[in-house]
Amino acid sequence: MMRICLLLLLLSLSAISQISTPSPEPQFKLSPARGVDFVLRNSPTSRKYLIETMPGGVALLDYNNDGLLDIFLVNAGHVADPLRSPVNFDRHDPSYWNRLYRQNKDGTFTDVTVQAGLQNAGDTNYGMGVAVGDYDNDGFADIYVTNFGRNILYHNNGDGTFTDVTRKAGVGAGGWSASAGFLDYDNDGHLDLFVTRYLDWTPEKSKTCGRIAEPMYCPPGEFGSATSILYHNRGDGTFEDVSAASGISAKPGHGLGVAFADYDGDGFTDIFVANDAVEQFLWHNNGNGTFTEVALNSGAALSSTGKKLSGMGVVFQDYDNDGLPDLLVTQLPHEPYIVFHNDGKGSFSAQELETGFGALSGNVSGWGVGLEDFDNDGWKDTFIVQGHVFDNVKTYDSSLSYREPPLFALNRKGHFEKGDAGSNLPVAGRGAAFGDLNNDGWVDVVTTSLGEHPKLYLNRGGKSHWLTITLRGKRSNGDGYGARVQVNGQVRFATASGSYLSSNDKRLHFGLGSADNCDVDITWPSGIHQKLRAIKADQFMTIEEPER
Amino acid sequence: MIVYAVLLVYFVLPAQIVASQGPAEAAKLLQSATDAESRGDFEQAIADFRKAVELTPSSATALLKLGGAYMRKRDYEAAIPPLKRALELSPDSLAVHQLLGYALLSQGYAVEAIPHLEIAHESGALGIAQLQADQPKEAVVNLKNALAKSPDDPDLIYYFGKAAAALSSESNERLLARFPQTARGHQVLGQNYYSAKRFSEAEREYQKAIALRPDLPGLHLELGEIYAVSSQWTQAEEQFRSEAKLQPGNAEVAYRLGDALLQGGKMKEAAEELRRSDSLRPDMPETLYALGRALAVSDPTAAEQALHRVIAVEKESPLAAQAYLLLASTHRRQGKSELAARDMEEYKRIHNVASKPEQ
Repeated sequence: MMRICLLLLLLSLSAISQISTPSPEPQFKLSPARGVDFVLRNSPTSRKYLIETMPGGVALLDYNNDGLLDIFLVNAGHVADPLRSPVNFDRHDPSYWNRLYRQNKDGTFTDVTVQAGLQNAGDTNYGMGVAVGDYDNDGFADIYVTNFGRNILYHNNGDGTFTDVTRKAGVGAGGWSASAGFLDYDNDGHLDLFVTRYLDWTPEKSKTCGRIAEPMYCPPGEFGSATSILYHNRGDGTFEDVSAASGISAKPGHGLGVAFADYDGDGFTDIFVANDAVEQFLWHNNGNGTFTEVALNSGAALSSTGKKLSGMGVVFQDYDNDGLPDLLVTQLPHEPYIVFHNDGKGSFSAQELETGFGALSGNVSGWGVGLEDFDNDGWKDTFIVQGHVFDNVKTYDSSLSYREPPLFALNRKGHFEKGDAGSNLPVAGRGAAFGDLNNDGWVDVVTTSLGEHPKLYLNRGGKSHWLTITLRGKRSNGDGYGARVQVNGQVRFATASGSYLSSNDKRLHFGLGSADNCDVDITWPSGIHQKLRAIKADQFMTIEEPER
Repeated sequence: MIVYAVLLVYFVLPAQIVASQGPAEAAKLLQSATDAESRGDFEQAIADFRKAVELTPSSATALLKLGGAYMRKRDYEAAIPPLKRALELSPDSLAVHQLLGYALLSQGYAVEAIPHLEIAHESGALGIAQLQADQPKEAVVNLKNALAKSPDDPDLIYYFGKAAAALSSESNERLLARFPQTARGHQVLGQNYYSAKRFSEAEREYQKAIALRPDLPGLHLELGEIYAVSSQWTQAEEQFRSEAKLQPGNAEVAYRLGDALLQGGKMKEAAEELRRSDSLRPDMPETLYALGRALAVSDPTAAEQALHRVIAVEKESPLAAQAYLLLASTHRRQGKSELAARDMEEYKRIHNVASKPEQ
C-alpha cells in the first residue's frame, strides 16, 4: 500500500518565527522592578556542564506579613572551567548570592538579603530552585532552596530574619535537586516537602555532546536517573525521609517540575513530576502514607502520539472549569506543550490540540508556567517563559532560538489563543512566579532568565471583577495547601507550587468577570467543608478554617 | 558487492587467455599461484604470479592473473599496472577490460574506467562510473539495466537513487540557468533552500512562484509544508486549502489540510477533511490515525472505528502502538476501563517490541 510521504515532515522545524495575532490591548507591561539589581549568574563554560543551563527559581512571598509580596531569587554560582570535585562555586562572592527583596509601600524593592541572613548559600552549592511554605505553622513563610549540592531550609524567625535549619530539620537532600514544593500529603496539619532530582550528574560524570568545534549540552539520556525525595514533617521542626517507605524512590526519573493537586477527589493530595525525556510521573496518594505511580495507565505519561515529553515546567489546575485539576506541561521544541485533561475517574487525556497548544507552541522551549486568570474573565489563562536549553542552538538548527519571548495565551472557554504579553523581548527564560505584586486584583508575573535581571510583567488590569483569598488553616496546615476552593464555579487547588523551580503567591486569585459578588466553597485538607455566600467582589479576604 | 561478483566471473576466464603458453617453469608457477589463490593465500599467489610474469613478461595471462590476485586482496592500486600491461598485450580481452575497469573505478578514476566497462558490458559498474563522472543521464540508463538483472543488489539500488537525484539536480540547474524568473525556477530554488533548512528563503521563493503562477499545482502544497514544519498552522492551512482547490482529488493534499486543521485545534473541520482524504484514498494509516485523533474527544465511537482500521493496516508497527494508546484514552474517557486496560497491554507489547534494539 502506498503511504503518504512524510519525508518533508522529518526535517526540523523552521526558522520562520510564529506570527501572532495580538489582542488590541496588551495585558502586561514589562516594567522595571525598581531596587532589584539581581543577575542570574549561571557562568556558562566552554565545557557545557549541564547544570549551567538549568537555573534558576523565583518566589513571590510575603515574608514579613506586611501584605506586600516580596521577591526571593535563587542565584547559581561560578563554574570553574574545568570543574573538578570538590566543587567550589564561589557562593561567598556576593554576586552569586541568592537575594531577598522586600517590597516597599511605594512599589520599590529593598535588598534585605544580609539583614535577613540569607547571604552566601554555600560554596559547594550551585543554586536551582525555591519552595515556600510555613512548615512550622508559626504564621511566617519559610524558604527551601534547592541546589546541585546541599539544599537549604531557612526558617523564618518572624522578625525579618531567617535561620538555616537544614541540619536540624534533616532536609539537605544532596545530588542535583530541581523543583521542590510543600504539601500536606497525610493531612496531619503539617506541611511535608517533596523534592525532585534531575540526574545522577557530577563533574566527573559530565560529558560534552555535539561537534568538537561547537560543543553543546548533552541530553539527559546521557546521564543516570535520579529519585525524588519525600520528607514527612514530624511536626517538631524535623522531617523524616520517607522516600522509600512511601514508594517515591522506587521509580527514578529525570524530575524537573512538580505540582500538587487531588486529581481524583479522594481527599489526599497527589503529586505530578514533570520528567525530562522519560515518562511523566503521576504519584497517586493512596491515603496511607504510600504513593503509586499511575501516569501511564491514567493517560498522563506520554503525548497523544505516544512520545516521551521533555517535561520541564508544570502546573496542576483546572483550566476548563469542570472542577477537576488538569495538567499543563512545558517542554522542548518539535512537540507542543501538553495539556493532560482530567477526564474524571482518575484518568487523563492529552488534549494539546483541542486546547490550541498545537498552534501556540511546537517551535519553542517552555519552562516556568502558570494557569492564572490574568484578564479576570473567569477562565484561567497561561503565561509561559521560554528559551532553548542550548546557548548555541542556532548553529545546530537555525529554526530555533536560545532567547525567546514569553508566551501569553488567553483562555476562551477551554481553548487558548495568543495574547499580548506587552513585550516580545527574547530571553533565555527559566523560572516564573505568579502573584499580585501591587495588590490591584490582577495577577502579575516575575520571570528569571540566564545571565539577566529578572523581568517583571505588571498586569495592566481591566474592568472585570475579582476575588483574592488567603487561607488560614487551623486543623489543616496554616497555609491551607491542598484545599479545594470553588468560587462561582471555578476551582483552584491551594498551593504555591507549580511552574519551574519557582514558588507562587499562595493567595488564591479568582476572576469574576461581570459578577460583583460570589459564592465560595472550600474543602479543607482536614475534610472540613466551608461555604460563604454573596461575598463582595474586588477584595482581598482571609478565610479561617472553621472548627468543623 | 559488485566488485566481488566480478571476481567470480574472472575465475571463469575466457579460454584464449588461459590457453596461452609460457615456459614450463612459468606454467608451474602459474599453477601453484592459482592453487594458493584458491586457498585464500593471496600473498603467496601474488609472489608466484610475479615470478611467472618475470619469466614470461609478454604473457597477458600471467599479468591478468597477477592483477586479479591483487584485486582479490583488495589492493586495487597495485592491480592497475599489470592489468594495463595485459591490455597492451591483449587489447581485445574482455576479462582484462572488465578487471581494469573495476580497478580504475575503485581507485576513483571513473572517467578512465568508463571505456573499459563499456567494452566489458558491465552496466552496473559503468553506471556508477558515469555517475561519478557527472554523467547522470547515462548513469540512470545503465544502472536501470543492471537493476533489471540484479534487482536486489543494495549497491545498485543506492547508486540508482543517487543517479536519479543527480539527474534531477542537473535538470533543475538547467531550468534555473535558462528560466530563473519563472515560477518553476523559483520553485526549484525554494526546494533547494528547503533541503538546506533555510526556511525563510524557501518561503520567499515559493511566494514568488505563487505570485507568478498561483494555479500551478504543487506550489501551495510545498509552501504549506514549510509552514507545517515550523508549526505555523494557520499559514499552512491557508496554503493547503489553496492546493485543495487546485487538486480536489488529491488525497495527500486533503490529508495535509486535515492535519493542519487538527494541529491548529480545529477538530471538526479537520475530521471532515480527513474523511474526505480517506474517501479519496482509503486505508492510508496516517490519515486514519489523524482522523481518530480529531474525533477522539467529540465522537469516540467514530474515533475507535478509525483507529481499529489503523491497527488492521499497520498491525505491529509503531503507528499501531500509537493507535492503541489513543484507543485506551478514548475508552478511559467513556468509562470502558477493561477495554482501556487491554489497549494499554497491546500498546506496551507492540511498543516494547518496536523499541527493542536490533540484535
